[in-house]
Amino acid sequence: MASNQAPAEPYWVAQLNSPPAAKSKVAGIVDPPGFSGAPTAPKKGKDVKTQPRKPPSADERDTLKLKKAWEVALAPVKGLPMTAIMMYMSGNSLQIFSIMMVFMAFKNPIVGLMSTNQAFERFQTDSNSGQILQTKLVYVAMQFLALAVGIWKINSMGLLPTTRSDWMMWENLREPVEHAILAL
Amino acid sequence: MRRSLQSALLLGLSSLVAAVFKDEVGQIDFHHALVGLPQSETTFFHRPKKDEKASLLYTLSDVGVLGAVNPNSGALVWRQQIFPGISHGGGHLRAPEGENWVIAAYGQQVQSWAALSGRNLWQTEFNGQVKDLEVMELTESARKDVLVLFEEDGVTVLRRLHGVLGTVVWEFREVSKDIPLQVSTSLSNVYVINLHGSPSSYSLKVTSLEPATGGRVDHMIVGTKGDVQGPQDVMFVGANSAAPILAWASNDLAKLNVHILGTKSKQEFALPADTVSVNIHAPHLTQSQPHFLVHTRTSTGNKGEVFHTDLKSGQITKAYELPLLPGLGAFSTSSDGANVYFTRVTEDEVLVVSSDSHSVLARDPLKSDARVEAVHAVSEVIKKAGGKEFAIRSATVTKSQEWVLIRNGQIDWTRSEGLSGAVAAAWAEIPEAENLAKVLAEEAHTNPWDAYVHRLTRHINDLQYLPDYLANIPNRIIESVTGGAVVVSKTTGLHRDSFGFNKIIILATHRGRFYALDTGNHGEIVWSAEVFPQAPGSALDVKGILVDDSEGTVTVRGANGEYAVIKVADGHVVESQYGDHLAAVSATAVIESEGSKWLLPLGKDRKPTGDVLKDRTLDQTIVIREEDDSIKGVKFVNEDGQIVKNEIWQLQLLPGQKIASIAKLPAHDPIASIGRVLGDRSVNYKYLNPNIVVVAAIDSAASTLSVHLLDTVTGQLLASQVHDGVDGDKDISCTISENWYSCAFFGQYILNDGTDREIKGYQIVVSDLYESPSPNDRGPLGDAETFSPLDPVDTPTGVPLPWVVSQTWILSEPLNNLSVTQTRQGISSRQLLAYLPESHAILGITRHGIDPRRPVGRDPSAAEIEAEGLAKYSPAIFIDGRNLLTHERDIVGVRGIVTTPAVVESTTLLVAYGIDIFGTQNSPSGMFDILDKGFNKITLLATVLALTWGVVLLAPMVRRKQINRKWEAFL
Repeated sequence: MASNQAPAEPYWVAQLNSPPAAKSKVAGIVDPPGFSGAPTAPKKGKDVKTQPRKPPSADERDTLKLKKAWEVALAPVKGLPMTAIMMYMSGNSLQIFSIMMVFMAFKNPIVGLMSTNQAFERFQTDSNSGQILQTKLVYVAMQFLALAVGIWKINSMGLLPTTRSDWMMWENLREPVEHAILAL
Repeated sequence: MRRSLQSALLLGLSSLVAAVFKDEVGQIDFHHALVGLPQSETTFFHRPKKDEKASLLYTLSDVGVLGAVNPNSGALVWRQQIFPGISHGGGHLRAPEGENWVIAAYGQQVQSWAALSGRNLWQTEFNGQVKDLEVMELTESARKDVLVLFEEDGVTVLRRLHGVLGTVVWEFREVSKDIPLQVSTSLSNVYVINLHGSPSSYSLKVTSLEPATGGRVDHMIVGTKGDVQGPQDVMFVGANSAAPILAWASNDLAKLNVHILGTKSKQEFALPADTVSVNIHAPHLTQSQPHFLVHTRTSTGNKGEVFHTDLKSGQITKAYELPLLPGLGAFSTSSDGANVYFTRVTEDEVLVVSSDSHSVLARDPLKSDARVEAVHAVSEVIKKAGGKEFAIRSATVTKSQEWVLIRNGQIDWTRSEGLSGAVAAAWAEIPEAENLAKVLAEEAHTNPWDAYVHRLTRHINDLQYLPDYLANIPNRIIESVTGGAVVVSKTTGLHRDSFGFNKIIILATHRGRFYALDTGNHGEIVWSAEVFPQAPGSALDVKGILVDDSEGTVTVRGANGEYAVIKVADGHVVESQYGDHLAAVSATAVIESEGSKWLLPLGKDRKPTGDVLKDRTLDQTIVIREEDDSIKGVKFVNEDGQIVKNEIWQLQLLPGQKIASIAKLPAHDPIASIGRVLGDRSVNYKYLNPNIVVVAAIDSAASTLSVHLLDTVTGQLLASQVHDGVDGDKDISCTISENWYSCAFFGQYILNDGTDREIKGYQIVVSDLYESPSPNDRGPLGDAETFSPLDPVDTPTGVPLPWVVSQTWILSEPLNNLSVTQTRQGISSRQLLAYLPESHAILGITRHGIDPRRPVGRDPSAAEIEAEGLAKYSPAIFIDGRNLLTHERDIVGVRGIVTTPAVVESTTLLVAYGIDIFGTQNSPSGMFDILDKGFNKITLLATVLALTWGVVLLAPMVRRKQINRKWEAFL
C-alpha cells in the first residue's frame, strides 16, 4: 500500500496544512463565536525566532539565568529612590495619597518577601543553586531596604509609637494618700 | 508669613467656635432682667413727657437699681445701677411733676436721669452721706430744684442743687450734735428736721429756711424729750404739699403725734389697740388738698383713717375711717389736680375712695388668681372722660416678693423681683420618680433569683408604658426629622433630657427666699419658698449649700446658724431651724463619708457647732480661715466628749496683708490626660494634686498682691508670686482648675527689664503647674502609684514642687468672678469665665488664648501649632464681642458664676446670679457630639430615598441594556 502512489491530498488537508496568510483584520468585522485568531501569532513568532538561532549550551543557559536572577534580586531597589522622593514630597500629614503610598511601601516588600522562592524558581537549576542562594539573599536584603523606607515614612508621619506621648494613656494618675477638706 | 497667618487663623477659628449666634439667643440661654424688690417710698408712677398721658413706673429697688417699667406690659424700659455692687435697701428717688427727669441719691452721690431714656443728665458727689432728697416744686424761677440733706461728720448740710445743671445754688450748714433726718418744703419755707438730744431720748427740731437764699428763718423743738428713740421712729415727713406734716408714733404705738410744719403745736391721735405698724400716705403736690391717710396694721388686719388739715387754723381733724379688714392690705395715694384719691388693695378687691368722703368711687373685685397678699402698692387713678368711671391700676408688691400690676381686678403682669439679690446658687438634677440607677444597685445586692424576679416584675410593670411609647414614636420621628421645627408633643413640667441640659438651679436670695429655676424651660421658676424671712436691714448670708441628688434635697447653712433641708422637686421645707447669734456659723465644709456628702458647720471659734461630730470621727485635715485672716490646717479630735482643735499647720500673712481671694478646685474636676504633649511629641507631666488651694493676699499700703499656692495637707507653699502695683480697692479674683490657676486684678508697675516701660491696666495672670521643667520627666516621684506630701524625702532638692510657667495679659476691662467651665470627662478644652462689670456681660476666654506656654518673641513652630495650638504671645487680649456668652444682653450685678457639666461631654451649663439671673449652655470646644440645628435631616433622608429609588428604577434598565449590548455584538 505504501508503494502505491500516494493519493492526492485532499484540498482541505492542503489548506489545513498551509493556511493562507492571515489577512489584516478589517475594522468593524467581528470574529465569529469560538474563533480565536490570537494563538497563531505567538506560535508563529516563536517559530521565526527560534528557528535561526542555535540552542544555547547548558553553561550559557546557567550564566543567562544567573544574570536574570541578579536582575530580579536588584529590582526592588531600583524604584526606591523614586519612591523615597515621592514619599518625601507627599508630606507627613494623613492624606489619601500618603496613606496609599505608605500602604504600597509596605505591601510590595512583604509580598516580595513571601514569594522569594517563586521569583527565583525559574532560574533554579541543579548546578547554580549556590549562586541563586546569593541572589536570594541580596533580594531579601533589598526588600528589607524597601521596607525600611516605608518604616522611615510612617515614623516621619508620627505613626510609630516611639515617643513618651504614645504611651501616656497607660501611665496612671498618681493618687494622693491624704485628702484635706476645705472650710474656707 | 504663613505661620502668622496660620496662628491668626487658629485664633480666629477658636473664637468662632465660641461665638453665640443670634438664633441661639433665647434658645440655649435665659435671662431674668430684674430691678429688685421695689421699696415703698421710692416707687411711683410718673409721666416722663409732660404733654403725654402715658406714664412709667419708676422704682429704686432694695438692691440699688433704678428702673423704669412699662406699666402696660411689665417690660423693663431702662435701668441703671446707682450703687456699685448690690445694696441692701436705702436710697432716695423723687420725680418732679411735669419734668422729664428723675432724681436719685445713694450714699454720697446725687444723680439725675432722663425719665424716658434713662440717660444720665448729671451727677455730683459730696462728702457725707445723703440723708434725704426732696424736689422743690416751687422756686423763684420756672425750673425745679433739688434739696439734698447730708450728714458730714456730725454737721448737717442742706444743699439746693440746680435741677438742670446739678450745681449748688446755696448751702446751709449747721454745726450741732443733731442728727439730720429729713427735709421738707412747703409753699413758703424749706424745713430741715433734726433729731435733737441724746440717743434713745430725742426730740425733734425743725429749722425753717428761706427757699431763695437758704438763710435760717426760725427753729423750734417739737415734742417732748424722749418722744423719739431713733431715726426710724419718725414715720413720715410730707413735702411739697400745702401743709406738710411730720408724724411719729409713741413708743408703744398707742398714739400718733402729728405736727404741721410751720406751726407750733402737735396733735395726738389714738391708734387702734394692738397696732403693729403705722404708715402715712399723703399727696406730694402743692395743689392737692391737705389730706392724709393713716394706715395701721394690727396683728390680724388693717384699717385706714383719713385726716384733713385746716390750712387756716392749723387744726387736723379726722374725717372718716375705712373699716378694719383682715390681711396686710396696702394703701396708696394718687392725686389729680386738687383731688386726692386713696386706693386700697385688700384681700379680695381694689377700691378707690376720695379723700373728701368715704364713699367708694370705684371697686374692682379681684379674680381668684389676683388675690395677692399686698405689702405695699402704688396706684394710678384716672377719671375716665365724662363719666364717673375710674380706671385704677395698682403696682403691688406682694408678700411672695412679686411685683404685680392689678387692673380691673386682674393681674396684668407679674415680675418675680424676689429673684434678685441672689447670694448662693447650687445645681441639682431633676428628681425622678424612679431612679433606675438606684433600682439597679438594689438588684445587684440581692441574691440572683430575687434579682431576676425583681427585674422580671419590673419589666412586666414597664409594659404598661409600652402603648404610650409606641403611640409616641411617630411624633418623635417627626420632631427628630424636622429638627424641632414642628413640635407635636410638648413635654411639660420638669423632665430630664438625654443631653442633660435640663437641670434645676437652686438660688438663695439675701431676703431669705429660695427659688428653683428649670434650665430646660428657659429658666422658669419651678417653685419658691420663704425659708428664712429676714428682718429689715439684715440679709441672709449663705455659708454652705449642698445638693444631694440621690435624696433630692438641698441643705443650706446660713451665717446666723440657719439650717434648712429643702426638697428639690417642690420646695417643701423638710427641716428648718432659725438661727441666732449664739449659733453663728463662720464656714462650712463638705464632708464625704460612706458615699454621701454632708455639710459640717464651723462656729465662730472655728470648731464644729453643736454635736455633729459626737458620733463621727474626722481624720482628715480641715483647712480653716481664722478671723485674723490666717489659714490653718487643723484636725478635730474627740477628747472625753470635748472636740479639740489640733493645729497641724498655719499660714500667717505678713502684717498689712489681707486675703483678697481664695480659689478652690471645683468639686467636679476630671482629668482627661495627665500630661501635655508638646510639639516634639514629648510630654510635660501636669502637676495634679487635689490638695491645693490658691490664696491671694493684698497689701493695700504697699500695693503688692501675693499669690500663694498651698498644699492643704502640709501647709507647704508650693509656689508664690508677688505682683507689684496692684490696686487693693479694685476687685481681685482668682480661680483654679486642673493644673493651672489664674488671677485677675488691676496693676500698674514699671517693667524691670531695663526698658522703664510702664505697665498699667487690668491684668490676668495664668500659671501652669508641671511636675518638672524638662519634658518626659515625672519629677522626683517618678512612676510612684501614690504620693503623700507627708512622706519623708531623701534629698533636700527632692521635694516634689511644681514647675510653674506664668504669663500675664492686659485687658481693657476689669474681670470679676473668675470661674472655669466643667465638662463631664474634662476632655473638652476649658474656658475661663468672667463677669465684665463695665460691659455687663459674661466673657468666655478659651484656654488656648491664655496659655502660659505661648512662645514669646518668636512664632510658634508648625509642630507646636499642631500639637498644642499655641499662638505667638501678644500682651493684650482684645475682648471680642463673639466671646461674650451673653450676646447683647445686659447682665447687671453678677455676684457669682456656677457651672455644671451636662451629660454630653461638649457642654457646660452655667448660671450667673446676683441681681440678674442669666443661664446658658457653653461648649468650649464646639458642639462636637450633637448634631447642630443646621443639620438638615430632611435633605439627608431625601437623598437616601432618591438614591434608593434610583437604584431600584435603574437596575432593570441597566440589566436590559447590558443584555442588549451583548446581543447586538452578534448582529
